[in-house]
Amino acid sequence: MLTILGNKTGRFCDGVTRRDFLKIGGLAMGGLSMPQILRAEASSGVRKSPKSVIMIYMAGAPPHQDIFDLKMDAPLEIRGPFKPIGTNVAGIQISEHMPYCAKIMDKLVPIRSMVGSLTGDHDSHICYTGRSARGVPVPPGGWPSIGSVMTKLCAASGKTVPQFVGLAPNAGHPPYGSPGHPGFLGAACAAFRPNGAGTSDLSLNGITSDRLADRRTLLASFDQFRRDADHSGLMSALDVFDQQAFDVLTSSKLIDALDVSKEDAKTRERYGKGFSANYGDGAPRNNEHFLVARRLVEAGARCVTMNFGRWDFHSNNHSELLTHLPLFDQGLSALVEDLYQRGLDKDVAVVAWGEFGRTPTINKEGGRDHWPNVGGAVVAGGGFKTGQVIGATDRLGGEATERPVHFGEVFATLYHWLGIDLNTVTLPDLSGRPQYLVDGWQPMRELI
Amino acid sequence: MLSISKRTLFILTSLAPLATAAPTLQIEATGTPELTLRGKDAKQQIIVTAKLDDGALRDFTHKATYSASPAGIVTIDATGIVAPVADGAAVITAEADGVKATFPVKIEGAGTRQPINFANQIVPVFTKAGCNSGGCHGKAGGQNGFKLSLLGFEPGEDYEHIVKEARGRRVFPAAPDNSLLLLKGLNVMPHGGGRRMDAKSDDYALVARWIAQGMPFGQESDPKVERIEVIPKARTMALGGDQQIIVLARYTDGSVQDVTRSALYEANEKSMAEADETGRVKLFDQPGDVAIMVRYQGKVATFRATVPLGAQVASLPPVRNFIDEQVFTKLKAMGVPPSDPCDDATFIRRVSIDIAGRLPSLDETNRFLADKDAAKRDRLIDTLLASPEYADYFANKWSSLLRNKRTEARDASSTFAFYGWLRDSLRANRPYNEIVRDVLAATGTVDENPASGWYRQVKEPQQQLEDAAQLFLGVRMQCAQCHHHPFEKWSQNDYYSFSAFFSQVGRKGSAVKETETIFHRRGVASAVNKKTKQPVKPAALITGPMEIAPEDDPRLALADWMSNRANPFFARTLVNRYWKHFFNRGIVEPEDDMRETNPPSNPELLEALAAKFVESGYDLKGLVRDITRSQTYQLSAVPNNYNKSDRQNFSRYYAKRLTAEVLYDSLNELTRTPSNFSGMPAGTRAISLPDNSFNAGSYFLTVFGRPDSSSACECERTQEASLAQALHLLNAKDIQEKLASSSGAAAKLAADARPDEDKLRELYLIAYARQPEAAELALAKTHIDKPRNAADGKPMEAVAAKRQGYEDILWAILNTKEFLFNH
Repeated sequence: MLTILGNKTGRFCDGVTRRDFLKIGGLAMGGLSMPQILRAEASSGVRKSPKSVIMIYMAGAPPHQDIFDLKMDAPLEIRGPFKPIGTNVAGIQISEHMPYCAKIMDKLVPIRSMVGSLTGDHDSHICYTGRSARGVPVPPGGWPSIGSVMTKLCAASGKTVPQFVGLAPNAGHPPYGSPGHPGFLGAACAAFRPNGAGTSDLSLNGITSDRLADRRTLLASFDQFRRDADHSGLMSALDVFDQQAFDVLTSSKLIDALDVSKEDAKTRERYGKGFSANYGDGAPRNNEHFLVARRLVEAGARCVTMNFGRWDFHSNNHSELLTHLPLFDQGLSALVEDLYQRGLDKDVAVVAWGEFGRTPTINKEGGRDHWPNVGGAVVAGGGFKTGQVIGATDRLGGEATERPVHFGEVFATLYHWLGIDLNTVTLPDLSGRPQYLVDGWQPMRELI
Repeated sequence: MLSISKRTLFILTSLAPLATAAPTLQIEATGTPELTLRGKDAKQQIIVTAKLDDGALRDFTHKATYSASPAGIVTIDATGIVAPVADGAAVITAEADGVKATFPVKIEGAGTRQPINFANQIVPVFTKAGCNSGGCHGKAGGQNGFKLSLLGFEPGEDYEHIVKEARGRRVFPAAPDNSLLLLKGLNVMPHGGGRRMDAKSDDYALVARWIAQGMPFGQESDPKVERIEVIPKARTMALGGDQQIIVLARYTDGSVQDVTRSALYEANEKSMAEADETGRVKLFDQPGDVAIMVRYQGKVATFRATVPLGAQVASLPPVRNFIDEQVFTKLKAMGVPPSDPCDDATFIRRVSIDIAGRLPSLDETNRFLADKDAAKRDRLIDTLLASPEYADYFANKWSSLLRNKRTEARDASSTFAFYGWLRDSLRANRPYNEIVRDVLAATGTVDENPASGWYRQVKEPQQQLEDAAQLFLGVRMQCAQCHHHPFEKWSQNDYYSFSAFFSQVGRKGSAVKETETIFHRRGVASAVNKKTKQPVKPAALITGPMEIAPEDDPRLALADWMSNRANPFFARTLVNRYWKHFFNRGIVEPEDDMRETNPPSNPELLEALAAKFVESGYDLKGLVRDITRSQTYQLSAVPNNYNKSDRQNFSRYYAKRLTAEVLYDSLNELTRTPSNFSGMPAGTRAISLPDNSFNAGSYFLTVFGRPDSSSACECERTQEASLAQALHLLNAKDIQEKLASSSGAAAKLAADARPDEDKLRELYLIAYARQPEAAELALAKTHIDKPRNAADGKPMEAVAAKRQGYEDILWAILNTKEFLFNH
């Protein structure tokens, strides 16, 4: 159950007021069938302007100073061998290994001053919740990730595509393979993972589609138990999900969305292929995930997360980067361009980042170590003010000197953009305490 | 200010009989025999109540028309708010449906204004407008440089922030309307929180006047709010009806003030009712009891509405024990006729799942259905309580709540030991208070004393107090760590005093690798209140500080306090928790959030259960026996024409989905295939898994919401539906493999020489504990007899075709709601 403190201004993602929401709930209890409830939702304005988020977690924390924030005034042992190049926005320079992104800098916002990791732990947690995994109070059940929050607050029922899809396969280091946890929102708000456990549920297992149809008919005639014996509405909800599941298995809208071979060759080439195998104990450098993410939001998913690579370069930082950066550059730029070409740039927000930055000084092994003091991020889409850089670091890339941006501020921006009132909307944790979605952070004025 | 010397008054006017044989209609107002308003700004909400001919009371406040005479003394608006104009006496008349009521009012000092008190008058304005809520300026760091205390609990700090901080630029006494505080509130100057006030409102005028007066804080001697009260306290209301309520603040000097429009309102059952900001309660269309929590200045009060359905309860099933007496009394009062008692088939399946976490076996079902003994249900209950599965099922429940969590492989010896101890204790039916005492006051290592397993996961005194309070006392103390509990009487002092019981818990390494010894560290138990920085002695919620000698373990004192017969929390929390286990809904809901503002739906029932539980010596099996023997528990889940919308009076059994573990076990039972949990013998039932670590390896258990033992809340177990669950049940590879297994049910049934009808009957008995109906049998038989072709298009061989038919039947059964639910 959701609660809203304060007064009447609380609205959910699609402009449904609390009263409307309760009305829907009240109707449900009055014995309406699920389809009727769905109609009620539709008439209260749900999903009039669906907005989606694509979150890209660069697992292991990429070196900020070698990508969007090159420190050419620093000595060689700090700045490293990479050179900057100009972009299509005068005055913004980025790494020479990001040529595609350089050409669309007007559609990107590098943030050079990400802060918030308290401990420098490797964890997707901060990238998916906006909160440090450790060093801050954790509510009973744990913090939910943005996809789970969106499932709880924004999900439209009756869609054949799951509302929150996590493309990450499991990884050797589990946090590198996490699509974002549901935390105190529980399993029902967890990511749908086409590359994780449950993958095999998506395609028929040992039976033909004819036999499935036959079984479905059989089930329909068997399943005559009185639905009104259940006072909670759960039986009807199960019916709706069964229907969706059959749709997934037969109409294959979800399977199609996951299938990049449905895309024309030129587009696929533009995104690149990458590698489907995990990089070490990290995530895969799978460029097709960028494309799948776009296909999923097009098909109706609200939040898609993907994990890319393993950027924890304690040794050979720069040569390792050459195994990651070009692929990442190609995939990210293709996704952003594609969103613009399809007119989705206002309705889909994209964020790519790692959990922290890396040491200014290059170590003896030619690597960079953990540097929670500052890191980088890149934001695109969402109708945001793009073509600008936010924040800056000092000469060595060691501390944020301008506009430090906490991870929570980016989440505040996204929730605000989704139409969720950060000042009023709360979700109860497992102790019943109402929890706000972000810890007091405000939407970034630079972006909206 | 106004003063009311007596709380209520009924005014009866002499009525002309109505044209029809009319009921005696009364109009009722509330206030004093002589309502006195003092000062220019005094206001008072009145309510008008009609007494219908059947004795029912209905709110007419917003239906009546008002007048006052003589003119020029008071005004009264259409919503029943009285305001002074000039000194003198007047009579207010309310008229509705041709009936009148009058009400004398006296105005004093209409030309004078009382000095404003910041805490009593200004702070509530911020609370009502939401300025000091946890999402805005009330959060720990404030908002955009301006901080208010959460919900106004610290007026002294708020005063500093508003008047003195930021060089005083927030208030401008020379031109109050130009104060930043007001310009922001009106959103005239850009304000992140938008417009929170109306320039024409009383609140705005009040704050402006306060600024104009030079921002007085008030005197130390000024009265403070002592308590608030609601008029009326409770009403029996009609479905869809509404009720204006009055909220009065009583001050330390004995004065009273109407704070109806300054208070905050929240219903405990949001599907039943809501209250607007003027204190008008509106009901929806659901019968039952609903409480409106009213908050003002850290004080809480409750308005309770009882909403009968009003149907005739002509006959009730026979009462079987004290539970039925309480439930049926309530059902009669509410006019909700209960469903019929359930049949034997439903009962054996229901009670086996609820007590032993499993389906009844074919043999058990057959014997039970054939048994003619009138006492067979009671006997079945006793058999189930004596079975090891009872202990498995409830140990599974408690193990999760007591956070018996394995995070690393090496924890296994500890988690297994703690689980084993719980299971043994439940099996032996040790008294609940003793089990809790062993857990709370545990010393030693897990090997020596498995009960110390709770301290392995619950490490900090604050966690210990929060878990203990929520789990054993049904009190959620978390909020009071940082501020006064918003819905409760608990203060930070209560919180830290409670935590002091755990202040002397010592830990040290032990001879056994990676395990700790828990011991009592000698010393005076105390904790520091983080707000006042003062040390506090151990104190258990409603009792005062305890004197505990340094050599005594304070946790023992806590355990003693809990199992004191008079303890109002301990037994009630347990019986409510168990009630919910069986009925899918607590008498207080949620089951671990018991507070004055969240009252039980049937207080007498809760009381009776708790009293019996205490009297029985905290006999857990006895409690289960009482509950399951009751007629109430044995009612059908199928609603009659009246009780479909009943969600809290237990007029029928509320169906619930099988939990992850029970569902998994039932599925194995039906398909006759064994489970396969790593590290456990094949066939180990999910219900008897000793800790949470098996979730990670079992997508089934994860997706169906088996908890991870990371919280003391039952709500960690997710019983919601999801697409992933549906896909898994309909199409999972491992379920498909179970169906198609060559040693599974389908293969066996296909090879079985008995007639298909017999085999199908048996399947129905296993899955649903009932015989199939003729139509169901025919349908299944037709499906089995259908000609089937192999992949090459040729007709399948008979046994193979039949096996496929049975696979389909099994698949369909396990996806029916009748199978997935306990009903």
